[in-house]
Amino acid sequence: MQRIRVAQPRYWLVGVVVLFFLGFPTVISSFLASEWAQALILAIAIMGLNILVGYSGQLSLGHGAFMALGAYVSAILAHHYKMDYLVTIPIAGLTTGLVGFLFGIPALRLSALYLALATFALAVVSPSLIKRPAGLTGGVQGILVVQPDPPATASSVFAALTGTAMTSDQWIYYVTLFCAVVLFWVAWNVVRHRPGRAMRAIRDGEVAAAASGVNVAGFKTLAFALSAFYAGVAGSLYGLSTGFVSPDTFPVSLSIQLLVGVVVGGLASIPGPLVGAISAYFLPIESSQWVPSQAWIPTQIVTTVKNAGPAVSYGVILILIMIFAPNGLVGLARTGYAALNRRLRGAGDRETGHTAAESQTVSEPD
Amino acid sequence: MQEFLQLVVSGIATGGIFASLALALVLIYNAMGLVNFAQGEMAMFATFVAFTLIGRGVSFWIAFPVTLVLAFAGGILVQRVVIKPVERAPVLTLVIITLGLATLVNGLAGFAWGYVPRSFPSPFSPDSIDLAGVFVGYRDLGVIAVSGIVLLAVYVLLQHTTVGLTLRAAAHHPEASRLLGVHVSWMLALGWGLASAVGAASGMMVAPILLLEPNMMQSIIIYAFAAAVLGGIESPLGAVVGGLIVGVTINLAGAYLPFVGGDLQLAVGLAIIVGVLLLKPNGLFGRAAVRRV
Amino acid sequence: MTNLLELEDVRAGYGPTSVLHGISLQVPEAGVVSLLGANGAGKTTTLRAITGGVRWTGDIRFGGRSLRGMSTEEIVRRGIAHVPEGRGICTELTVDENLRLGSYLRRDGPEVKKDYERVFEYFPVLKQRRRLSSSTLSGGEQQMLALARALLMRPRLMLLDEPSLGLAPIVVRSIFEIIKSINESRQVAVLLVEQNARLALNLSSSAYVLEVGRVAVEGDSAELQGKESVRRSYLGY
Repeated sequence: MQRIRVAQPRYWLVGVVVLFFLGFPTVISSFLASEWAQALILAIAIMGLNILVGYSGQLSLGHGAFMALGAYVSAILAHHYKMDYLVTIPIAGLTTGLVGFLFGIPALRLSALYLALATFALAVVSPSLIKRPAGLTGGVQGILVVQPDPPATASSVFAALTGTAMTSDQWIYYVTLFCAVVLFWVAWNVVRHRPGRAMRAIRDGEVAAAASGVNVAGFKTLAFALSAFYAGVAGSLYGLSTGFVSPDTFPVSLSIQLLVGVVVGGLASIPGPLVGAISAYFLPIESSQWVPSQAWIPTQIVTTVKNAGPAVSYGVILILIMIFAPNGLVGLARTGYAALNRRLRGAGDRETGHTAAESQTVSEPD
Repeated sequence: MQEFLQLVVSGIATGGIFASLALALVLIYNAMGLVNFAQGEMAMFATFVAFTLIGRGVSFWIAFPVTLVLAFAGGILVQRVVIKPVERAPVLTLVIITLGLATLVNGLAGFAWGYVPRSFPSPFSPDSIDLAGVFVGYRDLGVIAVSGIVLLAVYVLLQHTTVGLTLRAAAHHPEASRLLGVHVSWMLALGWGLASAVGAASGMMVAPILLLEPNMMQSIIIYAFAAAVLGGIESPLGAVVGGLIVGVTINLAGAYLPFVGGDLQLAVGLAIIVGVLLLKPNGLFGRAAVRRV
Repeated sequence: MTNLLELEDVRAGYGPTSVLHGISLQVPEAGVVSLLGANGAGKTTTLRAITGGVRWTGDIRFGGRSLRGMSTEEIVRRGIAHVPEGRGICTELTVDENLRLGSYLRRDGPEVKKDYERVFEYFPVLKQRRRLSSSTLSGGEQQMLALARALLMRPRLMLLDEPSLGLAPIVVRSIFEIIKSINESRQVAVLLVEQNARLALNLSSSAYVLEVGRVAVEGDSAELQGKESVRRSYLGY
């Protein structure tokens, strides 16, 4: 009988990470804080997409469009209806979640590949669709978002700790961090309780899941709705963080970036989206700066990389990761961890005939 | 009435372009069960190669077949280097890889030729000819002719040659083909080469109409998806018929439906995709899943 | 007489599951050998190992040369035709296209023509349905197509996996007669996997009975048929 080892959720690690992110802005520049805010925003969107792709097994190449929807809902409410931006964030999330739910219904009838096709087409078309109702959306120019000043309490706490005044960017970073922590916690709970189990059952075999009494249609549309909600919140925060929304800030490459973040980080894992987001955001920037500084890479490759910008190195790295580490970076870490474990424990499992690779490790207790 | 016929004819011309790219998609789908999201970018890259050749004084009619050959070789190279290592991976991994490939090729094109749109010379005269009262451009006729020849050539290759037979056998029945001595792996590479060449034809046909730049094929591939899905993603004939229907439809929609302007024609493409997938997922000529042996 | 095919202590399996635990068998030139046994005994896996469809240890030699490390295509090109369980018909293709796949490796044009004629003599229905999709054929007709295709390869050895499966007795009898005729007139060796032990033993000169991945009984077909204890324990009749 296979032994299923369940890794205890490493609460202490989570605590360290959260503390790190809390303290981070006190030691880095305001600009870097806004960059990290954007990475966190991506992490939220990727977490949502992960629920859809990694846990329920449905493939979407169009979640950039959902982000756009969330961003525009917030921007329109704030600009045309003068609502407090922070209030618009959950509204944007819920609206997008509802739309996601409505999308999830016809999506039930599409096979994985066709769903990818349809959502890809959606991502390509959405900038044009946004430009149309120019009165509402500001057309090509988009809508400006006023970035709020930090409230007095936060500002004074920050000043007490660091001796400098809190900037708008830093306040926005903390708002984003708060949303990210809350949403990750929600996702973790969804995934380790009944909805998560149901979704994984569906992903691993729809027919079998249905035969076991799982409400396949219900959970699949729930996954869609949830992932859209996350994307909507992320989009809304994105508008806040950059200070404006426009059709061109949500191109098809964003949707691809999200999916890539899911896969590179590691499907069906909770830490995956965070790792994936950081990679997806910083990798293109860093690699186009790092590669030229390496002496052992021939000059022709270096100039190619420098001139073609992030795209080439991004594409190459993506392909390499898919070939050599298809379980994503988290999966790679886990395999490394398992291999280390095996070596440390020696021949322990030999009498049962099973190797460590066969016993499953799930990241959350069932 | 005249205008309607003119729209139909130029719709058939654009349809020929969509059909070629759609055929490339169908070829790879039949071989591997996946949609190559990089097909459009590969076609764009080949078109830039043609552009460079023409810029050096090579006539279009020589550059065209030379580019087809180069694209063929490129397709084989891509399959051997990028796809083969992950042949047995799940579809999601392969899809991501094609997306990575698309990004990579797009970036390489941007590096090599920049992002400034170029004009690509058409080999056909800009005049029109009067056919029974309808004015048809030579360029449209030219595109129809060239696409027609390319598609016909592929048809003859697949249906009436031994190579085509082994290609089809390897694509649909890899295990059984191995037992007949077919080098299935090389057949897959050939399939990629063929798809790449057909896609290149599509790129060279569309470049004179749009402007040549790295993002040129991104809307074309949506139409090609629509055509492939409409025709049935497993059916080469479906790709051709689908392409023609999509071409004519977006032309007519653009002219006669008031709210469909230039960039919203793409939304018509999306509507076709979604509509077909919801109403008749197998398309016009597709079948339900074929058991592969 | 040298052996055309030799298996020596072959072990094979799928992933962690081991199916064959040391099979040794020989097929002489132009001989007919049966491979019998219950379901799951490893008969199909044995055939798969020969044509490289499953990883194996030990040695498999064909015409004196070891098949180790060769791909399926290479092995087949050496002169082995394998008709798998389920027949392996390319249902996307027409009957004629399936037949062409059988002969496409050959370079001897006139001989190919002759073989086509013989094939149509054996199986006239295939000639009638040449242009039709092979998916329109009945089970028996598909078996005929598979055999015809194998014939067109002009192999030195044919591996047949359950040719009688799902077919009416009349059809089975005629197919077995054709197999016999092919073996005698063309000197093609046959390794036959069959559930229908009686038919197989009638046709073959020697037989091996597999049980749970090992050779339980082997010997001359006539002798095995004669021994009632063997028949009862291993062959089910």
